[in-house]
Amino acid sequence: MASTVEREPSEFKLPVPNVGSVGLNCEWGLGQQLHVFQTQKSPANASGVQELKLGVENQSIFDIRWDAEMHDIARKLVNESHNIFVMLQGQVKSLAEPALDAQLRKASKHYRGVLKACQMELIQLAESCEDVTRKLKYDTYIQEFEIVQLIWSLCQIIFIDIAPGGLILKALLDWLQWHFPEGKYLAKEVCQDEQSCSHPKYWEAVFRLLLQGNTENVRLLLSLHTHSDAESFVAADELLRKMPHWTYQHAQSAAEFEMKWRHWREECIRRYEAGEFAAYAELEMIVQVLCGDEHVFRELKDYCETWYHLLVSKLLYQNPTVRLTDLTFHVKSSQAVFNQTGLSSQELDNILQAAFEFDIHQVIKDTCTYLSNPSWWFVAHLADLLHHCKQLDPQKLPFGSNLREYLLLEYATALMSHESLWQVGVDYLDFCPIFGSSYLESYIEHIPLDNERKALKVLHICVERKLSLQAQSVCKVMGMKCLRQERLGAALSWFLRSKDAVVIKQVTNKFLTEYCEQGKFSHLDLIDYLGPSMLITNSLTFLGKYREFHTMYDSGDLEGASSLLLSLISSRLAPKTFWMTLLMDALPLLDLPKVILNIQQTYEILHCLEELHRDGTASDESLSEAEVERAKVLRLALQKNLSRAIIEEGSIKIES
Amino acid sequence: MDEYSVKFVAKKISKIRWRPKLDPKGPQSRTFATGSWDDQNNCIALWQILDRPIASENGDAESLLVHEPQKVFETSHVGDIMDLKYVNHDLMAVASSTGSVSLLKHRSNTEAVTPVCAWDKLHQFQFGGSAPCTCLATHNEWIASGGEDGRAVLLAIDQQAPLQTLDKVDSCAINDLSFLKQSEIITVNSFGQLKTFDLRQDTSRESQILSVTETHTPLLCVARHPGQPHIVATGGYDGMLTICDLRQERFHMTRMEAHTGPVWEVKFHPVHPNHLFTCSDDGSLWHWDSTDCATDPVQSFMPSKGKCRPPMFPYFTVGIRVLISSLL
Repeated sequence: MASTVEREPSEFKLPVPNVGSVGLNCEWGLGQQLHVFQTQKSPANASGVQELKLGVENQSIFDIRWDAEMHDIARKLVNESHNIFVMLQGQVKSLAEPALDAQLRKASKHYRGVLKACQMELIQLAESCEDVTRKLKYDTYIQEFEIVQLIWSLCQIIFIDIAPGGLILKALLDWLQWHFPEGKYLAKEVCQDEQSCSHPKYWEAVFRLLLQGNTENVRLLLSLHTHSDAESFVAADELLRKMPHWTYQHAQSAAEFEMKWRHWREECIRRYEAGEFAAYAELEMIVQVLCGDEHVFRELKDYCETWYHLLVSKLLYQNPTVRLTDLTFHVKSSQAVFNQTGLSSQELDNILQAAFEFDIHQVIKDTCTYLSNPSWWFVAHLADLLHHCKQLDPQKLPFGSNLREYLLLEYATALMSHESLWQVGVDYLDFCPIFGSSYLESYIEHIPLDNERKALKVLHICVERKLSLQAQSVCKVMGMKCLRQERLGAALSWFLRSKDAVVIKQVTNKFLTEYCEQGKFSHLDLIDYLGPSMLITNSLTFLGKYREFHTMYDSGDLEGASSLLLSLISSRLAPKTFWMTLLMDALPLLDLPKVILNIQQTYEILHCLEELHRDGTASDESLSEAEVERAKVLRLALQKNLSRAIIEEGSIKIES
Repeated sequence: MDEYSVKFVAKKISKIRWRPKLDPKGPQSRTFATGSWDDQNNCIALWQILDRPIASENGDAESLLVHEPQKVFETSHVGDIMDLKYVNHDLMAVASSTGSVSLLKHRSNTEAVTPVCAWDKLHQFQFGGSAPCTCLATHNEWIASGGEDGRAVLLAIDQQAPLQTLDKVDSCAINDLSFLKQSEIITVNSFGQLKTFDLRQDTSRESQILSVTETHTPLLCVARHPGQPHIVATGGYDGMLTICDLRQERFHMTRMEAHTGPVWEVKFHPVHPNHLFTCSDDGSLWHWDSTDCATDPVQSFMPSKGKCRPPMFPYFTVGIRVLISSLL
């Protein structure tokens, strides 16, 4: 399952029983994920939703993901580089040109540092691993990390950390020494040998070091030779010692350096032609290298391993003041030397060649197709850096965003598909100005909400980014889940967060039904403490106030209770099904020795009762026997109360 | 104080706890445990701080010590690790999102921890399915656990059967709980309430219930003042820190704006209770210091100047940062 731009189609075989004409249909999951399920019709016919019969027996939904695998070290890389990325984005916003450039260079080095650290860790793991297949796997990871570093550091030299004056040979030499350590290892081995010069790899070590411009160590090795006192050796040593090296630190101009170098080379050629080294073939070869002899590089090409090593080695001895812009012209000849063999992989060559030719888009494109797993990691971060270095064409691609954003989106998508790294993905999407938020909107709704804590985290992400629709949907999903499990309290707490009147009403109706059935409320710890939240919707207001009525009644505040009840009745906030219960609550208030409900209030209740009665007879579902009976009792009590109220209020009138 | 080391890990860490010292007067503990969450294979890992000398940057002969945590042990765990608490020097209780609580023991002479016992399906929804166990509290040999099912269970480390199950602690999820005394626990829930329960009395009803906000913002964590059991600190989803005095006659609370994200944990320093620590979804850890302030602990916590760090990791901590210096 290689993750490539020009992807070869991957094939998944689903264990679907092949019964009749079975078709497949699918829904997008999170990122690189599809939910595939069977349908009765073949996909071509399944034009409408109504045709999807879910009646297939043993229906299963297949969860298909690709490229979601990531080993622990790669995950570490993701986490650590995420930190660098976010920090860098902040600096891009806040810093101006010169300071920013320094930061960009630093970030590039940081990324490489992290890569190196991860690679080291992999090497350690591979060394301690005993399982052969796993070791092999580790080895491929290590190889991949190596390639990524090779490309990255070259890109850094060419595009990011541009040396002043455009002289880049020093940086390229560092690059060689970093990625071709073979010479150093050999030299170490040779030095440890008791008879260094008779070590079979003695001269190989010398030449490898020489080709990397490591003259110090070449001299050290030569001094170990048994004939090191011979004239030829002394002469060679002198030439090596005199070789001018370009450094950034010394304030020497390029012209001055070039003059020195030409002078030195002339001396090399002169002494070589004078035959000073003829006694020792190897020494002669060394001096030939120093002279920049074309022929000798061909002979030594195996020590260079690759054309790019050869390219840099040749430049060192032929054209050390080569400018960045002239590199292109030297690529072909070095490649020609290696062309016959075709040993190293073609793709990597192309990528590096593109880099030498300043074709950054080609580098990115080829790398995408070449690398397998952490490919998006590499191109996304590199493109981001180059974008900030103004090396990337800021032009919009045909589909609306620039290359940086396109790659970041791809990387973020890969992260979003991961069960654990989606949080990192969110951060990357934040820095995609054009499509970031719409991607996030569609992804965030697909994140599985396993428990409340995770849901709160997702909710916070939505709220922080003002994705109110998505925030609502999180609350709704969680609330509905609770509702299905009959956890009314938890459901209410979620719905209150989204202030969703429709679903809150569902919960309050359940509370009321429960009250009708059991005669008491559960969840008092919530209902009694609703406070101002009560005002969010009518149904909640009713619930809260109705409960308040009970508390008042129980505490003996009959006056207050009755006026509250009356306002509840006349407000018509209660669902119709609850009216009867509400009206019956008036019954005990009517039977008290003292008249509490006055004429007007009694009429109000009567009015409500009549309305209910009329509705009951009008609609098909009339009131049940028991309810009719209760209504009769209530009507009687109301009549009694009315007469008592008339007398009482009448007497008041007489007094006044 | 500025000295810390950063170690990146592959898995998201939900909890991190120092292993308690065997001898309270002994040197600082150098082992800590972490639990991961939201992964296919979650794990509990043990770490040790190793001192590694490095040359200081300006090349002085004087070398600095780098305290680097090294993973010494890892064991897989079923479900997200929701909470992790040490019962004593050797025993560690772990709460899982599958609703179970397990007890792990440090094996002497090895780096490993092995399971001692487990209470499976301790938390379950009334109508189907296991409920995540969200929090643990320990008191001597007792463990209390709370879950999203709104129940709290009291366990003794040497008994398989729960000592006591508090069925109706809450109508919504319990997010954290803590012992106030041996016989009293406090819980915080998703409805923004603090509740106390007296375990000796009828536990079907709370003995005290306090709403912290009118908007019912979830409270996520609670900690008791080590010296004064009536003082508790709690952190909420809105990033606020609330300090409450639970005494009925003089109940009052102070709310302080702290983090920009949910406060996931709040802790009093066990020995110097004037110092409080909060950590948040926004990636920051705050150190609150009330030493120089009024004597009333409820009002005196101020974010200590210079000691609170700006967020280093954007709103969730992929890496773990361990503050090595003794924090004070």
